[in-house]
Amino acid sequence: MITGAAFELRMREELYINLEPLQRGGVSTPESRKASIAYVDGYSTCDYCLGSLHLLKKPPVQEFLSDVADFLGMDRAILTNGCREAKFAVIHALTKPGEAIVMDVNKHYTSYVAAERAGLTIYEVPSTGYPAFKVNPDTYVDTIEKVKKDMGKPPALVLLTHVDWTYGNLVDAEKVGRICREYGLPFLLNTAYSSGRMPINGKQSMADFITCSGHKSWAAGAGPIGILAVREGWEDKVLKPSQRYKVKPLEILGCSARGTNAMALIASFPRVKERVKHWDEEVAKARWFSAEFESLGDVEQLGDKPHNHDLIRFETPVFDRIAQKHKRRGYFLYEELLERKIVGVKQGRTKTFDLSTYGLTREKLSYVIESFKDIISKFQS
Amino acid sequence: MGSTVVEKTFEAMFYLEDLREVLRKTAPFHKLKEEEKEEVEALLSKVRKALSIIEAELVK
Repeated sequence: MITGAAFELRMREELYINLEPLQRGGVSTPESRKASIAYVDGYSTCDYCLGSLHLLKKPPVQEFLSDVADFLGMDRAILTNGCREAKFAVIHALTKPGEAIVMDVNKHYTSYVAAERAGLTIYEVPSTGYPAFKVNPDTYVDTIEKVKKDMGKPPALVLLTHVDWTYGNLVDAEKVGRICREYGLPFLLNTAYSSGRMPINGKQSMADFITCSGHKSWAAGAGPIGILAVREGWEDKVLKPSQRYKVKPLEILGCSARGTNAMALIASFPRVKERVKHWDEEVAKARWFSAEFESLGDVEQLGDKPHNHDLIRFETPVFDRIAQKHKRRGYFLYEELLERKIVGVKQGRTKTFDLSTYGLTREKLSYVIESFKDIISKFQS
Repeated sequence: MGSTVVEKTFEAMFYLEDLREVLRKTAPFHKLKEEEKEEVEALLSKVRKALSIIEAELVK
């Protein structure tokens, strides 16, 4: 602990190469850290309050939200305390307990929990299973038909996880959007791992709602923050105000992220707008890394092949065999990587593990590959 | 004391955040290229300048 700090310093980004898939897209920009310093006090966004966070002109929250709606190809956007809160807001506004929701099996647990909290019956669209675990958009038709057969009416809402958190599989949102349009069903596109990293066009995807994670994919540190973007025609239902407090959006309980988290997101936005233009480079880098890692032998990439995202899961019997004989068992890999200044692979994991290549240079990733190679040589010889 | 000291305090912290960014970019071994060394020197110089103004305003 350093003098003057009442906590242990976190120096992962300064001292290590961090591969943690949950964190790579949320690594902060210098601008977001500066905004966090300046707006660190409680209710710091509210000095010039106009009654509601999304109406603020100073700091320019209203202008930012208008830009974000354009950026996502949607009509309206509001801040939420996280992506899960954005999903729940839509689910709660559109459905009644006992109705059905359709979502992919690769969903984030919070999609399920949000639906569970709203009292819905949850139907999951299956994946192809091992080793690709792909969600085929056409399978949404089968699941919607099953809901109709079981419940005598279609689901109240359809949700797609654009890129899932486990395999990093990218699903064609436009195909699911088209299916929803044909059935006349509202479509919620969860972009926690896609918007802020790659270009998103809500109109092209025919999404009625897009939910985003600022701390996961928009380079916004300083606390959890989400975005709910809505297509024209749904504002009255999802963004409706309280009956008594006329400027407070009901589904997000009035004002949401009112401090450093909002300011960090706003401050990072110019860089985010720029970085999504280079998404093809990120995909090429992820594919190159995957091929290099597999070439070490006894390593298999799961999920989409070729891969379309920086989040990648590997099956790694080569490390699991070493773990069986190593005195530190499954912890050996984490510790060997730590010695080489690499973090982000979870402690104790050797059978399979996930990582992200997002925002890391090829030079750093080459060093990671060499380190894995070095560890294999050390214990196989 | 006017707002200058406060502004210079933020300014010094912001330059240090830029320095932190260099540390992040060059992690984990921090073998700096020539242009990165120049950037660090320029940042440190700006921090020192801000600190001098704070010192002159508040202490001297």
